[in-house]
Amino acid sequence: MDARDLKEKIFLAGAALLSLLAVLPVFHVLLSVIWNGLGVLMEAGPSFLTGVPPPPNGGLGGIAPSLAGTLLLAVLSSLLGIPLSLFAAIFAVEFPDNPLAKGVRVLSKALLEIPSVVVGMLIYAVVVVPMGRFSMLAGSLALAIMMIPYVTTYVEQALEGVPFTYREAGFALGLSRPRVVFDILVGIARRGILTGILIGFAKVLGETAPLLFTLGRDRYNVPLGPLDYGDSISLLIFDYAQTPYANMHRVAWGAALVLTALFLIIFLVSRRLTEEVFL
Amino acid sequence: MELRISLPLLASIGPLIFALWVTVGVAGAAASGRGRVSILGSGSSFIYPQMSAWIPEFTRMNPDVVVNYNPTGSGTGQKQFFAHLVDFAASDPPLTRDAWLRHRGRVIQMPVVLGAVVVTYNLPGGEGLRLDGRALALMYKGRLRYWDDPLMRELNPGVELPHREIVAVHRSDSSGTTNVFTFFLHKAAPDEWPTDLVGKSVEWPVDSKGNGVGAKGNQGVTQVIMSTPYSIGYVELSYALENGLPMAKIRNADGQFVLPSQESIREAARNSFPLMPRSPLDDYSLDLDALVYAPGGKSYPITSFVHLILWTRYEPGKAEALRRFIRFVNTEGQGMIVRGYAPIPEEIRAVNLKAAGLIKP
Repeated sequence: MDARDLKEKIFLAGAALLSLLAVLPVFHVLLSVIWNGLGVLMEAGPSFLTGVPPPPNGGLGGIAPSLAGTLLLAVLSSLLGIPLSLFAAIFAVEFPDNPLAKGVRVLSKALLEIPSVVVGMLIYAVVVVPMGRFSMLAGSLALAIMMIPYVTTYVEQALEGVPFTYREAGFALGLSRPRVVFDILVGIARRGILTGILIGFAKVLGETAPLLFTLGRDRYNVPLGPLDYGDSISLLIFDYAQTPYANMHRVAWGAALVLTALFLIIFLVSRRLTEEVFL
Repeated sequence: MELRISLPLLASIGPLIFALWVTVGVAGAAASGRGRVSILGSGSSFIYPQMSAWIPEFTRMNPDVVVNYNPTGSGTGQKQFFAHLVDFAASDPPLTRDAWLRHRGRVIQMPVVLGAVVVTYNLPGGEGLRLDGRALALMYKGRLRYWDDPLMRELNPGVELPHREIVAVHRSDSSGTTNVFTFFLHKAAPDEWPTDLVGKSVEWPVDSKGNGVGAKGNQGVTQVIMSTPYSIGYVELSYALENGLPMAKIRNADGQFVLPSQESIREAARNSFPLMPRSPLDDYSLDLDALVYAPGGKSYPITSFVHLILWTRYEPGKAEALRRFIRFVNTEGQGMIVRGYAPIPEEIRAVNLKAAGLIKP
């Protein structure tokens, strides 16, 4: 073996080691959630998904209201946030010289970095205090604001990745501008767009801070209406991890595993979708 | 499989459904007025586990009422209460005299459960530690540096004390626990611990001596003490009990060394009663002063209340629900106190129950 081969081997080994170091914490988190959560789920059984939380030192109960709240909030905020992000991104990419479009581009990237608790405080001041109550409506608005910059940025990038020649080809065929944008550009960029949408969805699924002062944390009733108090799995974990009681810690671990499973399902679904859907 | 969807149409449906949900939901709530009365409280995170025990039992007995509680912290709870976002607050400290004066006659306060701050330690080979306010004050000032200090030996005859430096652990975040603990230090050793070292977060003198360690939350202090030999610190009783930490006997105002227990905590509250308000409408701002370092040979000296704060006026449904909740908390509720808290003595319950007659639609 000559020196060059040796150098390459050392470099490869170094790169592999460093990338392992980078992903190790992720695996550690994942494994400890599975390790601690699986026992809880097995012991509590299906009632963990249908029951209400236990009192201190009082068994495991379930997390149904928080689970329902998390799912409902993610869906509601997506109903609002995803279309807005889609149109904002298409506008920004389609009219790059428009001052408003420039503003959209800058803002969507700047808002990526906004601390999520600030969004919570904004909705607290603008929605919760004037309405005089915490509500699912306030929570879903906060999450919609959280997801908009993410989805917008991802969709912008996906659309910008489409080569200009496809657009020219569309116009050459005599298609109108909306048809070029919605049928050709969006169609070609669909994987990136769907990925952005799902990342936004997953993002709000795990958010805690925007919900601290907006939701009202009803842990015993499944929320349905916009004025109902609601809860989310992340808030439940946040509160229960801080108590001294072992059974509440275990409920938090079980809830963390449920949340992780939801993420996994989303990403598996997203893989399938990007292969099959044509927009 | 090929799925063709018109994107603009699809995307517009989302906000439409959202708007429909809001309109139908708001109109529906206004029309039906809801079957169940919904009560929301916010505040002290210390009382949250006890609330999680009370609420399911109360709603089982009162199926027409929904009660929820958000552990946001005592200060936030008071703010949300005065902003009328929640129906009641729970707060470790009572309202300040100023706040009480502003809302005098319209606001009700009552202590509903007792807690204790315990001194816990990690002393390999030593247990059954006895301490007083002066020794603790000197430790947290960094002037009592070794476990075998003459003062420590005098307090603990027969306990083997090593010649090791004491690591004094304290909270790094703002905390009601710190407030109660430093208030005790001041009351028990006013010469060593001045009033400017009393509060929710203080400048710990021991830190500048290099022997102090800050940790976040009761959980954090517990972890540091468990993993640091020769350390000492203060946590809420429930954290010491649930984690099996040793607890020091503390010298009370009568000179007796007392372990924290439901009995010794309740004894302190009973002995503070002569100085307590006689009506839920009164000023409670000095009740911690009466309770901490209370007289009585069996009183545990580092004890604190958690208060409920309510209005005297509510809409009819809520007034009735809150009256029932107050009765529950001061009767059946006191029989289901979670480990780590103590029930309030009968004398105080009797005062609290007057509140049920003060709340009106």
